[in-house]
Amino acid sequence: MTVVTSTLRASLADAFANRGSFWFQVAVMVVNDGTWIVFWVLFFHQVGTLRGWGTQDVIVLFTILLTSAGAALGLLANSRRIGHLAAAGELDETLVLPVGPLSHILTSRIDPANMGDLMFGPVLFAVAGNPTPERAAVFVLGSVAGSVVLVGFLVACGALTLFVGGRGEQADLGFNAILIFASYPLDLFGGATKVLLFTAVPAAFVTGLPAQLVRSFNPAHAALLVAMAAFFAGLGWATFQLGLRHYSSGSIWTR
Amino acid sequence: MSPYLAGWRLGLLRTLRPPGDLSVRIGFFAVILLVMSALWGTAIDANGGQLEGYTRSSLLWYVFAAQTAVLGVRPRSVEEIGDEIGGGAIAIQMLRPVSVVGLRMAIDLGEACARMAVAFVAGAALTWLFAGPPPSLSALAMAVPAIALGASANIASSHAFGGVAFWLLDAKSTWFLYQKLVFIPGGMLIPLDLLPRPLEVVCAVLPFATMAYVPGKIASGDANPLLLLWQVGWLAALLALAAGVFAAGERRLQVMGG
Repeated sequence: MTVVTSTLRASLADAFANRGSFWFQVAVMVVNDGTWIVFWVLFFHQVGTLRGWGTQDVIVLFTILLTSAGAALGLLANSRRIGHLAAAGELDETLVLPVGPLSHILTSRIDPANMGDLMFGPVLFAVAGNPTPERAAVFVLGSVAGSVVLVGFLVACGALTLFVGGRGEQADLGFNAILIFASYPLDLFGGATKVLLFTAVPAAFVTGLPAQLVRSFNPAHAALLVAMAAFFAGLGWATFQLGLRHYSSGSIWTR
Repeated sequence: MSPYLAGWRLGLLRTLRPPGDLSVRIGFFAVILLVMSALWGTAIDANGGQLEGYTRSSLLWYVFAAQTAVLGVRPRSVEEIGDEIGGGAIAIQMLRPVSVVGLRMAIDLGEACARMAVAFVAGAALTWLFAGPPPSLSALAMAVPAIALGASANIASSHAFGGVAFWLLDAKSTWFLYQKLVFIPGGMLIPLDLLPRPLEVVCAVLPFATMAYVPGKIASGDANPLLLLWQVGWLAALLALAAGVFAAGERRLQVMGG
């Protein structure tokens, strides 16, 4: 068993230690997600379709968001906390271990609430996403690629704290921006905003492009999605590794 | 200086002094305005330039005011109150010769004032950029007290909901429920006028509408003073409710150890 799978198993066991609390948080998150579905139903009830997007299309986009964000923020919960950990000097406990620091940090904490998203996303797709074998396969591909992009982006934003200091605000801003943009259909945006969504805040690769692939599969766009997932994974890793050279120990154990 | 005024000042200063958190919130607010501008702008265009009387400009000024009022309030306030009660920290606050809930609300209001002032200036500039000038400058001026009253009602209501922890020892579930009540019945995500009629009627009689819908409605150009009166009435009721919940909770509180 590799170090990564062992760490992930230990984190899962830790999260499951209080089963009542775990399932309660999962249930609360499902209710939270349900509120957004209610919003979209009410919205489209009032306005009709928007640039070709209707209720079902947005629900598919939402299922991809739930699944990819659930994986990134539930299974790899520290992906959004790199900046805070660095600012607080809390990377020490990982750096002394004979393991790859980034993979260990990412797998060492699980967030039960976001695990609710990860569970609810595929269920919602099965119920309301008009699943066919082809659409389901593209859904899985899109969700996996989206979660890789999201993790890479969040790690890169968090690692910025290692370069510029602060208390992890860069990661907070990046986190909020990408999740908000990823919650809405890509076709709503135009001009500079759309360029932004394909570059600096890559929300287009988290939900927009995957959702379009589920609606209408295009091999070239699928290849682009996979390539961008690889790019953002590399970007996150490289930014973190370079940032570590600027890290100062928090000396937490000797305080 | 009155302890409540000192608490308000403390909340105001501690929010303004570390600029990092405030700048993140403003960045977050800017992103929300950008997204909402795209969403509602497209919706209005697709419906012939109007939706239930809202034009693109009036709807975006609605979004600005509704979001300013809600984002001013600390988002996890209900959960934090619950944690302090459940963990017993509230017992220390009860040793002071002032009302626990009164001082807490004064501090929260100080924090909210700092956030709302910055959000109002930055948000108004951005909304002007995205949507053009407000439908009515006098309505925008009237939205200022409406935003303050909306945030105050939200803070009072948060304390009433958080006070449930005196009985449950936890307010996490209450927080999630509460947040969603502000989102849809409160009119933060969608104006109540755009909901199906029966749902609109139900939402309009709940207090949450005073927290986001009323500031938004006024900023959208409806400068009706009765809307402010509606807020004042609910604010008084929510303050009384929060005080009542804490008074009852403090009487039954038992904390082990020191």
